[in-house]
Amino acid sequence: MTENQTEKSVPFYPDHLVLEAKVALGVGILVIIVGLIGLFSPVGLGAPADPMDTPAHIKPEWYFLSLYQLLRYIPETIGATLPVILVLFLLVWPFLDKNPDTSKQNTRVRFWISLVGMLILIALTIWGEVS
Amino acid sequence: MKTFYRTILVATLGLALLLASAAGVHAITTAGQNPSPGSLEAGEPVLQTIPEPEKDTCIQCHVEEAFTNLWTPLGRWVLFGAAGVALLFGIARSASVWRSRAEWVPIPTRILAWIDERYELSQALKPILDKPVPDWQRRWWYCLGGLTFFLFIVQGITGIMLAFYYKPTPAEAYASIQFIENEVLLGSAVRSIHHWCANGMIVMATAHMLRVFIMGVYKPPRELNWVSGVMLLAMTLAFGFTGYLLPWDQRAYWATTVGTEIAGSIPVIGELALVILRAGWSISSLTLSRFYAAHILILPIITIVSMGLHFIMVRKQGIMKPL
Repeated sequence: MTENQTEKSVPFYPDHLVLEAKVALGVGILVIIVGLIGLFSPVGLGAPADPMDTPAHIKPEWYFLSLYQLLRYIPETIGATLPVILVLFLLVWPFLDKNPDTSKQNTRVRFWISLVGMLILIALTIWGEVS
Repeated sequence: MKTFYRTILVATLGLALLLASAAGVHAITTAGQNPSPGSLEAGEPVLQTIPEPEKDTCIQCHVEEAFTNLWTPLGRWVLFGAAGVALLFGIARSASVWRSRAEWVPIPTRILAWIDERYELSQALKPILDKPVPDWQRRWWYCLGGLTFFLFIVQGITGIMLAFYYKPTPAEAYASIQFIENEVLLGSAVRSIHHWCANGMIVMATAHMLRVFIMGVYKPPRELNWVSGVMLLAMTLAFGFTGYLLPWDQRAYWATTVGTEIAGSIPVIGELALVILRAGWSISSLTLSRFYAAHILILPIITIVSMGLHFIMVRKQGIMKPL
């Protein structure tokens, strides 16, 4: 924000734009490689949907798996309300945590909070995958 | 002025040659295919005499799949025609430069200069292009959000490609996905990209959010940027949820059944949410139509608007320097 003349910088055009283009190109090549792999091993399909036949093991996609696993062990009402509350909490979070950082300590605390949160999510996901 | 007339002459001659040869080939390839209909006899039903619509053989061969790759007569015409036009244009330009002894200016530069002269774009872009980027911003964790956007563009393009062949009805959805994977040129590659980049987008969006959270850059005055970001993450997950039903296989059907059931067990608004999501009490063809409309129309519109706001706000306020 502050136009500090002493800090080292490069011009946005062309230096920084070229860097961004290189990153985009790299990811673009990755995307094309994914497509080439898809030619030989397609995503594929399961059996056609049959409302009369409930399969033995139903599992959602991995990004909903942690919630799904959680719901097996806690009451459904709480488990279904939890993500809604979580999203609402995230939405109002910057209005609750307003004070500007004074030291690196705050960053470290937030790092450990996110690490523990992510580890819980990952653990639940893996647990859901293997069970 | 002389050069100008000469250029016109060369261009006209070239175009005439091109048209003449095209007409010649067309006459050869269509010869004897469409006999002209006879004149109308008294009492003869009019319907029979309506001639078959004349079909251009060059295009019809694509419909009949006589040629299934890109090296078709039409493809050859486009390629060689473009090469011929480029050659003629080059000759004319070279002649004009040689005549006038002026310094050669590349054509893209000329076009940009032509636009800039009229709309003064370089003046408007100057603050953006000349803005210095500090070295601390040139780290890999600052590109996570940009990569999410890049993957969103990939999803948009591959999604449009899939929408050309996908049929959102219970009777045809499954078969149309099989058709995409087995029959359509590069269909399985496009579906594979759409599938895996959706997963990549969720990973990138989460990583971007964690970066912003850990660095604490959501604090005032950037609250609304965080709010729009949370909405974008929710939209990404909603894309995943709605897109998962579309193949209409067992996994899709039952994962949606369970997912909507979970939404249904939220107190107070749960049953309403369930009925809105399923378009009734159970999953039917209406659910599929509804999820399809959400996936290709409603969610993209909300996402693009939120993204626009997200980008305008970050452009206005700049990236916050962490401690």
